Amino acid sequence: MNRAIRRLTLASVLAVALAACGGEADVPEEQTGTGEGTITLSEFPDRPYWGDTHLHTDNSIDAFGFGVRLGPEAALRFASGEEVEATTGGKAKLARPLDFLVIADHSDGLGATRRLYDAPRWYVKWVIGDDTMLRWYDMMHESPEQSVRAVAELVTAAANNELPAALRDQSNREETTRDIWATHLSILDRYNKPGKFTALAGFEWTLMPDGNNLHRVVMFRDGRDKTETVLPFPGLSTTAEQLWDYLAAYEQNTGGRALAIPHNSNVSNGLMFEMTMPDGSPMTAEYAMKRAAYEPVVEATQIKGDSESHPFLSPNDEMAGFGVKGWELGNLPLTAPMKDDMFAGSYVREALKRGLSLEQQLGVNPYAFGMVGSTDSHTSLATSDEDNFWGKHTGNEPAYKDRAVVPQNLGTSQGRFGWHYLAGGYAAAWARGNTRAEIFDAFARREVYATTGPRMSVRVFGGFDFDAQDWDGDWVRKGYASGVPMGGELTDKGTAPRFMISALKDPDGANLDRVQVVKGWLDASGQTQERVYDAVWSDMATRVRSGGKVPAVGDTVNRKNATFTNTIGATELRTVWTDPDYTPGQRAFYYVRVIEIPTPRWTLFDAVRFGITLSKEAMDDAVAQERAYTSPIWLKLAKRPAAPTVMERK
Amino acid sequence: MRLPGWTREPLVHFLVAGFALFALLTWSSSGEVDPASRVISVDHAQQAELALQFQRMMGRAPTDAELATAIDRFVRDEVLYREALRLGLDQGDAVVRRRLVTKMDLSASAAAEAAEPDEAVLRAFYETHRARYADAGAVSFDQLYFASESAARAALPGLAATGDWQRAGDPISLPQSLEQVSQQEVQTRLGEVFAAGLDRLQPGTTWQGPLRSGFGWHLVRLRARGSGAAPAFETIRQQVENDWRSAEIAARKERAFTVLREAYRVEIAQ
Repeated sequence: MNRAIRRLTLASVLAVALAACGGEADVPEEQTGTGEGTITLSEFPDRPYWGDTHLHTDNSIDAFGFGVRLGPEAALRFASGEEVEATTGGKAKLARPLDFLVIADHSDGLGATRRLYDAPRWYVKWVIGDDTMLRWYDMMHESPEQSVRAVAELVTAAANNELPAALRDQSNREETTRDIWATHLSILDRYNKPGKFTALAGFEWTLMPDGNNLHRVVMFRDGRDKTETVLPFPGLSTTAEQLWDYLAAYEQNTGGRALAIPHNSNVSNGLMFEMTMPDGSPMTAEYAMKRAAYEPVVEATQIKGDSESHPFLSPNDEMAGFGVKGWELGNLPLTAPMKDDMFAGSYVREALKRGLSLEQQLGVNPYAFGMVGSTDSHTSLATSDEDNFWGKHTGNEPAYKDRAVVPQNLGTSQGRFGWHYLAGGYAAAWARGNTRAEIFDAFARREVYATTGPRMSVRVFGGFDFDAQDWDGDWVRKGYASGVPMGGELTDKGTAPRFMISALKDPDGANLDRVQVVKGWLDASGQTQERVYDAVWSDMATRVRSGGKVPAVGDTVNRKNATFTNTIGATELRTVWTDPDYTPGQRAFYYVRVIEIPTPRWTLFDAVRFGITLSKEAMDDAVAQERAYTSPIWLKLAKRPAAPTVMERK
Repeated sequence: MRLPGWTREPLVHFLVAGFALFALLTWSSSGEVDPASRVISVDHAQQAELALQFQRMMGRAPTDAELATAIDRFVRDEVLYREALRLGLDQGDAVVRRRLVTKMDLSASAAAEAAEPDEAVLRAFYETHRARYADAGAVSFDQLYFASESAARAALPGLAATGDWQRAGDPISLPQSLEQVSQQEVQTRLGEVFAAGLDRLQPGTTWQGPLRSGFGWHLVRLRARGSGAAPAFETIRQQVENDWRSAEIAARKERAFTVLREAYRVEIAQ
C-alpha cells in the first residue's frame, strides 16, 4: 500500500510537471537590477539593515535530503515577513521581518536530491544505473530518519571525494542546473523590492578536502541580466583560487560585482586561514591580493558554532569561546580531530592577526576582512532568535521534541549533540537604503557586523580627534567627516587612535553588559599580540574594576521557565575610547565586541516547552551572553606604498 | 467540435496523466519486493551492496564473518520492516503520515508555482484583498526618550511652552524625528512595544505619552498618519502576484483535497 501511494505521488508530480507551462514573469523593472536610482538614499548610512546571507532551501542537495519541502519562494516570503507553513507542520512567521536575504544553496548537486527523489525508481535503477544513488533514493523514500542518514552518507562521501559520478559530473547536469538557476533568479526578482526587501543572488561553494570545511557563500550585486550569464561554481573538485578566478571572470565579462564569504572556519582543522598556500609553499602576494579582493567579509557565527575566538588561543579573554563546544573537536564530519596547531588557522581573531604578519611579509593583507553572522539554516526559514529556533535542518525542526539532547548528524559518534547547535546569527549592514547595490557595497567596504541573533545597533568610528563632547552634537556626521566607520582604515599619525563607539540594545531584547575593544597588533619583534579591553559597561559606578577585571553583570535567568528580566545591564553604552597602549609604528586592528546580559538559549526554551531534561553539561550551557562583533578598523603604517584594498578594486 | 468545459480543467489533466503514469510505473516496477511476501532473497547483487556499504563505512572490504553479520542484520531489518507493514505500524506513525501528506499537497501545488496569471485575475484578487494592501498607516512623528517614567511625566507639561524641545529628554542613539515611515520601520527602530503604543495615539500637534519601549519611556508628537488606503494596483502589481500565487497554491491544495475528500464518508461519533 505504501509503495502504491508512493508511486501515485510520483506519478502525480510528473504529471503536473508536464502540465505546468512556464512563462516570463512581467516583473517591474526597478526590481530586476541593482536598485541604483530606484529609491532616495539617506546622506549617511543611518541604520543597520538586517539580513541572513546563508540560507538553504529544497534546492540544496543536503537540505532536501534532510526533509525540507519549502523552496526559495517560501524562504523569501518568510524572510520578508509573510506567514508560511513549515515542512513538519506548524505556521511560522517572523515577528520582525528581515531586510535582506541571500539564498545560498549548494552549487554542487544543485537540485539533485530533489530531482532524484522525484524521479521514478526505474529511472534511477536503469537510466542512472548507480547503485549508491539507488540506495540513497530508497533511503530517502523509506523514512525521515533514513533520509537524514542518506544525507549524512552523502556529506561524508562528498568529504571523501567519493560521490557517485552522476552527482559529481557538472557537464552532465548543466542543463538542469541552468533551469534551476534561471527559475531561482526570476523568483528573486519577484520578491526584490527596493526600499523594502532585498533579495540578492548567491550560492554556496562547498570545498571540503578530507572533510575540512572551506565553504564560502558567493553573493552577487547584480540583477538577472548579469547573474544569468553564469552558473553556480562547483566546489567539490575546484580550488579557492579557481573560485576567485571565476568571480574575476564574472566581473570582467558582465561589469558586475561579486564576493565570497568564508564560513565555519571552526571546522576547517586549521585550513581556512593558513600562513601558507594550500600546498604548504610560502604564500604569494598574488594569492593574498586575490583573497583580499574577493573575500572582504567572513561569517563569524552561525548555527554550526561561533568562530570569533577560542580560549586555547586567547587564554586571557574570559569571554572567548562562545559557541565553540562540540565544534572544536575536529573537522566537519569529524573524520579528523582538531590538533593544537590547527586552532590558529580556524578562528577569526587569530586570522586577523596572521593577516598583519603576512602583510608585513608580502605588502598585502589577505585576511583584512569584516565580520557578519548568518544562519546556515537548511529549513528555508531564516530564524536566528533563541525563542524561535526552527532547527539546523528539517530533521531537527521543533516537531522533534528531543532534538536538543539527541546526537545529531556530522560526527555524532564522537560527541556532537543537538545542544551544540547555536540558534544562528544575523548580518547587519550599514547602508544608505535597502537595495542590492547598497547592501552589497556595505559588505564590499566592510561596513557590516555580526550578531549571534539579537539586533543591537552598533556604531564605531575610528579617528584621531574625537572626544566626549562629540556626543552632544551630530556625532555621526563628525564620525564620517573626520574618521572612518567600521571596516575602514586609518593611517598611523604618531598619536593614539580614538574610537567613537555606540551600542544600543535590541529594542525587543536584552540589556547590554559591556562593550569591549579587541586589539590585535604586530610587536617590534614581528610577533602577533592581542588584548581585550573593557571600554564601557553598565553601572560603572558600582561595578568597579578590580584586579583589571570588571565584575560580572549578574544573571536574572529563571531556569524553570526560561525567562529573564532587564533589571540589570544598560540600554545604551557609549564611549570615546583611546588606545592606552598605542605604540607608534605598529600595525594593528581594533574591533568591538558587544556583550548582552545572560539570557536563555534555545535549549532552555526547548526544555521548558517540551518538558525534556537536559544533561548537566547541556544545562550548564543553556544560558549564554549573546553578542555582536563589528568589522575591525585597521591602523596602517604611514609611508608605505598603498596596498591594494577591497575598495580600490574597481 | 467543442469539448466540454471539464476537459480544460488542469485538475482533470492532472488526474488523468497521474493515473496513466501510475499504471505505467506499477507495471514497470513489478520487480520490487512485495511486502506481503514471506520470502526474503539475498541475492548476489544484494550481498555485493552490503559489502559495499561496509566498505564505505569502514574503508575496507568486509571479512567473510563480517559480511555474514551484515547479511544477518539485513535479514533481521527486512523481517521487522515487513512485519511492521503487516501490523500497519506505518499507519500510526505521525512522522510517516505527515511526510505522505506533504507529498500529496506538493503534487497538487506544483503547477501553481509556475503559472502565469492574467491581469484580470490579479485585479480581481487585488479588489478582494484591498484591506490587506491598505497602507498600515505611514507615520511622521517626533519622539523624546526618558530613562524613567517619572522624568517623562515631569517633562510633558513644559514641552508645549518651549519651542526648544530637541534638547529635552535623555541622550540615546535614536532618531528624534521620522518622516513617512512604515509600521515595520517603526518596529525595527523602536521595537514592538513602542510600535503598538504609537498605534493607539491620535495624530495632532501636541505631545503625548509617555509610551513605553524596550529602551524606556518616550514622549511623542504624532504629526501625521497615512490615509490607510490601498496603493493603486499598478504600483504593487508584483506584490499582488506573489500573494495570488501563494493563495493559489493553498487553494489548489484545497481543491485537490476536496475531490479526494468526496470519495470518503466521515463518521464522527457524537
